[in-house]
Amino acid sequence: MFFSGPWVILFLALRGLRQYAFSTIVASLAIALAGGLFVGTWKIKEEAKNAFSRSAGGYDAVLGARGSKLQLVLNALFHLEASPGNLSWEQYELIRGTRGVSEAYPLAVGDNYHGFRLVGTLSEMFEKHEWRKGRKYMAQPGGRFFTDNAKEALVGGFVARKLGLKVGDTFHPYHGLIFKEEAKHKDIYVVVGILEATGTPADKVIWIPIKGIQLMDGHDPKTASDVSAVLLNLKGSAGFMLDMKYNKQGNVATLAWPVAGTLASFFERLVWFQRVLEVIAYLVAFVAVCVILAILRNAMNERRREIAILRSLGARRSTVTAVVLVQAVLITLFGILGAFISYLGIGLFAASVVREQTGVLLEPFTYDPSFLYVPIGMLAVGLLSGFLPALQAYRSDVAKNLVQQS
Amino acid sequence: MSFLEVNDLRKSFASPDGGQSLVVDVETFSITNGELCGMRGESGSGKTTFLHLLAGILSPDKGLIVFDGTEVSKLNESARDHLRASDIGYVFQSFNLLQGLNCFENVMMAMAFADNSDESRAKELLDRVGLSHRLNHYPSQLSIGQQQRVALARALANRPKLVLADEPTGNLDPANARIALNLLRELCVEVGAALLLVSHDEKVVSGFDKNFDWKDINRAFAQAMKE
Repeated sequence: MFFSGPWVILFLALRGLRQYAFSTIVASLAIALAGGLFVGTWKIKEEAKNAFSRSAGGYDAVLGARGSKLQLVLNALFHLEASPGNLSWEQYELIRGTRGVSEAYPLAVGDNYHGFRLVGTLSEMFEKHEWRKGRKYMAQPGGRFFTDNAKEALVGGFVARKLGLKVGDTFHPYHGLIFKEEAKHKDIYVVVGILEATGTPADKVIWIPIKGIQLMDGHDPKTASDVSAVLLNLKGSAGFMLDMKYNKQGNVATLAWPVAGTLASFFERLVWFQRVLEVIAYLVAFVAVCVILAILRNAMNERRREIAILRSLGARRSTVTAVVLVQAVLITLFGILGAFISYLGIGLFAASVVREQTGVLLEPFTYDPSFLYVPIGMLAVGLLSGFLPALQAYRSDVAKNLVQQS
Repeated sequence: MSFLEVNDLRKSFASPDGGQSLVVDVETFSITNGELCGMRGESGSGKTTFLHLLAGILSPDKGLIVFDGTEVSKLNESARDHLRASDIGYVFQSFNLLQGLNCFENVMMAMAFADNSDESRAKELLDRVGLSHRLNHYPSQLSIGQQQRVALARALANRPKLVLADEPTGNLDPANARIALNLLRELCVEVGAALLLVSHDEKVVSGFDKNFDWKDINRAFAQAMKE
């Protein structure tokens, strides 16, 4: 089969690559790395944007102490960074009673258990709030949500798995957001439920009644009724109205609204990082092209005689040219395969880091146009890099390269 | 009736001084169908260039080459490639086997360019040259004599009408040279191919149906010798 028609070209191309196996592998690896970086840069950026938006927990806005909106959103919804400050309980009640506010849940933070944050809130958040349209929080079978006046804890699924906590276990909270052995509170909490996984940051915290945080042994009694933030869902034009009231006219609190807009500004700030990755990817791609070019050119120098032999056997110029171009394409195809494998690694790594750090569930393997455009682009570049050596093959002087002169 | 006929053939190359150096200048030359011919000539006298012209690897500056009724010198490159693949076998001094291909593949490759993929023919020929047990061996795994025998099998694979052999024994010891020459003659007779073997060695070219002396044929060489 390999000795008829176009198969001869494929056969010769494959044999040529086998002869220069090491160089072929190096070129394919360079392409794989470049391709993996390209796809990784674009897809993970897009997926992170989408995943963070998906994981905002179904809230329109966050009210918190005067300061950065981004810090507020990261702290209240993603349980990252420190709280920008506190609001009084009266402010919470005020906004809760404001027209157009359909949901308002106070949050209080400031303690941890083995590095996982304790977040105080009201149990009604678990009972009423939809963290995604049509999806309410659920406790795993055998557990339940906490009671607002008891020292009970509802543990996020990720935390339960990491710390091995189960219903009935008890623990002492630790003061602060960073775990320090000596900062142990005297209070004892009992785990009454494990939260069903949501793929949102809610999975990576331990939820307790807000009074638990406020009245925790050792906390300042003067701030016992303060809250760190209020999570809000709004109706109609309440967003505009509250934005005006808190952000433009007031100077006590900050309203991060809309949450998606605040997150978008966060990703805009990361554009420089994406650009750096893109430049790296372009550089690696450039190196890959140079490597293919060098390999095929070197191979050409060594293969002039072989080409002459093929021509003396009756191979046409177009045949030997096609062999070189097919080799460039094959190296690129191996590289593309490698690119997807390397992206598999990059995607899994990124998803695991983001999950670990934020609780946000990335889905790096859902279809993205870059899965199509990047390989097509790579193939075009690969073909282009094979063009010069192919031209050399085309122009190869048969009589001269057959060597023997008498 | 001449099967291969050459008339007033000229080929020159650019010389280092910027001029043209006439390498081949043949007034007439002919071989009849199935004729086995030897031609003796000095090294560097243009024999290989002459064979390249006959095989269509080079095109002449002037003159006529008629091969089996086809005017080779007027064919385009692609047609010459096809003619070479199907009707002309070429044996080189340095064998010119493809190093990345094994014995069987080397023979098959010659057949592939003539749109011939008869594997049994390739195996039969390798058996005929005593290498049926070396089908999967690569050239580097063969002795010099064995490599030349693979080259002979390759040259005869498409049952060519003409075999051109350029110093085919030049790299062989006397025993292997004898084996290769006998095989070459036998195989040509078997397929009915005409043979033109060129060598600088008088002993190699003797004993053929017809013997040529290149210096009598190539006026360019004779002229150069005079100068």
